[in-house]
Amino acid sequence: MTPIGTINPLSASPLTRLEPSMSPSEISSPGLLGGAASTTSTTAPTDSFGAMLDGLVGGVAAKQSAAAAQTNAVLMGDTGQLHQSVIAMQESQVAFSLMVEVRNKLVESYQELMRMQV
Amino acid sequence: MNLISGIDVTAGALNAQKVRLDIVAQNIANAETTRTPEGGPYQRQVVSFETELVKQLPGEAGQTALQTVKVGGISSDTTPGQQVYNPQHPDAGPDGMVTMPNVNLAFEMVDLITASRAYEANLSVVKNARQMAEKALEIGK
Repeated sequence: MTPIGTINPLSASPLTRLEPSMSPSEISSPGLLGGAASTTSTTAPTDSFGAMLDGLVGGVAAKQSAAAAQTNAVLMGDTGQLHQSVIAMQESQVAFSLMVEVRNKLVESYQELMRMQV
Repeated sequence: MNLISGIDVTAGALNAQKVRLDIVAQNIANAETTRTPEGGPYQRQVVSFETELVKQLPGEAGQTALQTVKVGGISSDTTPGQQVYNPQHPDAGPDGMVTMPNVNLAFEMVDLITASRAYEANLSVVKNARQMAEKALEIGK
């Protein structure tokens, strides 16, 4: 999950979706962003921020379905591993909190941008 | 995505202690069993643990390899059982002696307490690891 810090949010795709008339190349062009864009282009991530978010949500969903499957197995009597199911539930809960936290940060930075004086 | 570190190690330990608890239950349940499919009285079962390397994800190659625990084997305690004089017992020999299982209830109770305390200790590890992850998520709040 470290890429959050290294990705420049201005080059991320969620913002291009909000502003469809602007292509990503326009956003990251040096004329618009100055030096900041040139540094990001050298360390450009292979995946976009949106793809990373997709992966995060997918991972959380996978964890939750795994926890549900384990709990189901315990309740159906297929396995006696109660602790495994509870641990899986805890893990999915922490993953979900992380996802909510990332979303909160994203919305916060978007609102911060919207408050910017033009 | 492994958010709660070391949880696999603890899960293995919890599993091992649970098996140990099951075996203690089996020993206590069969403390008076004088007939088994193998013939002779029930023999006390003993669990032995062994370490097992946790499977490492390719992204976490920098971390040191963690070792969890698994049940290495369940073996029989071969000490002879106590001879009790009870001529009315169906399994009594011609001299009226019955060989009872070599289960000592005091030993089993000690094993039971040790296993449940070890289980509790591992549960505390899970709880603390989770709290650490949740505290890390509170950074910047």
